[in-house]
Amino acid sequence: MAPNITDKSSKRLQFYILASLFAALTAAGSFIRIPIPYVPITLQTLFVILSGSLLGAKFGALSQLIYLAVGLLGAPIFSQGGGPGYIFQPTFGYLLGYPLAAFTIGYLLWGRNFPGSIESPTFLKICLVTTIGVLVIFIPGVTVLYLNLKYIVAQPIAFSKAVWVGFAVFIPGDIIKVMVTSILTFRLRKILSI
Amino acid sequence: MALKDITLGQYFPGNSFLHRLDPRSKLFASLIFMTCLLLSQKFFLFLLLAGICVLGLYLSEIPLSRMLKNLKPFFWLFLITFLIHLFTTPGKEFIHISIWGFSLSEEGFVNGLSYSLRLGLLIIFAAFLTMTTPPIEITDSLEKLFSPLKRFKVPVHEFVLMVTLSLRFLPLLILEADRIKNAQLSRGVSLEGNLLQRIKNIVPMILPLFISAIRRAEDLAVAMEARHYIGGEGRTSFRKLRFRRGDFGMLAFAGLACLGVVVLK
Repeated sequence: MAPNITDKSSKRLQFYILASLFAALTAAGSFIRIPIPYVPITLQTLFVILSGSLLGAKFGALSQLIYLAVGLLGAPIFSQGGGPGYIFQPTFGYLLGYPLAAFTIGYLLWGRNFPGSIESPTFLKICLVTTIGVLVIFIPGVTVLYLNLKYIVAQPIAFSKAVWVGFAVFIPGDIIKVMVTSILTFRLRKILSI
Repeated sequence: MALKDITLGQYFPGNSFLHRLDPRSKLFASLIFMTCLLLSQKFFLFLLLAGICVLGLYLSEIPLSRMLKNLKPFFWLFLITFLIHLFTTPGKEFIHISIWGFSLSEEGFVNGLSYSLRLGLLIIFAAFLTMTTPPIEITDSLEKLFSPLKRFKVPVHEFVLMVTLSLRFLPLLILEADRIKNAQLSRGVSLEGNLLQRIKNIVPMILPLFISAIRRAEDLAVAMEARHYIGGEGRTSFRKLRFRRGDFGMLAFAGLACLGVVVLK
């Protein structure tokens, strides 16, 4: 069979490779800590957002799924190690939120025809989309926290309480993160044109 | 942390019975045992499954201390699970702490213990697969397992390829991130100062990392195409997976255990 390498399939392969590199970058991001009092920012959330905004919805989400897969296979890249046992951590839902967030951000910024569009979104739009994306992380985050308490710890609490514990507590730190990542996304988007 | 630990993950090198099993049968067996754990409600069933765990340790030749390391990140969860049950289960009271109005009951103690034991066993059963199989072999077997999905246009091969690439690049990128950080620090970029200053200074750390990652991706794409990479179709694998007698034995054993738990629960 004669291999048929067209320009399109070559572009596709490049995106596959980019997505796997973004997965590795997300993992590397958890090793870089920016010391800010009270809420040390790890660059992880940043890479989640950037994967959505730079690779588009599909490949952004794919890169985050790969990040999850690599961690579950045992590479110590989650905040407390890795391995398949991690699905029993109450915080596992936040990790599940990453692909969802990347997809949302990619979709809201670029729509479906990702590498096609040319015009750059405004800073305000990036800020808004990033905020929505970060909020999306909490949906599976809070849900898994609730389910974990119900079935693993076997001590059900009211869902509203789970929302309070899993969501409201994180708000102040996340406002800062959204600010940082919006600035970065904006600047990176200008410099890198994939 | 040694960078070797990252690509090998939790893998504990060896050549035991469990190491030689097909990753697919290991995966199914641990899933079955984990379902058993979630189904069972009696303390003696937990003890029985703990016995199976010990048998697994014996068959895999993994030292106990190494296995228990997996539980370390869960310390707080264990503590919370145990304490919540200890304090909130109503029952025959044996100690009364009048100051807070809490009372400890025997039932609470047993409940706390059994739920903590269940959590621990869940984590250990999950860890057997990754401790006795290198990550690359697991991804290979997952590709085989999910290959029927290719018919529905699920990019199984591509996903597995990407996971493998990601595992390969992870140590490289971590090294690079560290190098870039040091390089920028030596040029006078500082992580001190007020909040805005620090935020601004993240940019020169991230940007080179991205540019080098994108350059790598381009190079790799060219290199793969130069070697006529055309996706998963008709591709053969370096490692051949085969179901042997031991695999069937393992699955039969897991199935029997599951049946037993369903009957006894």
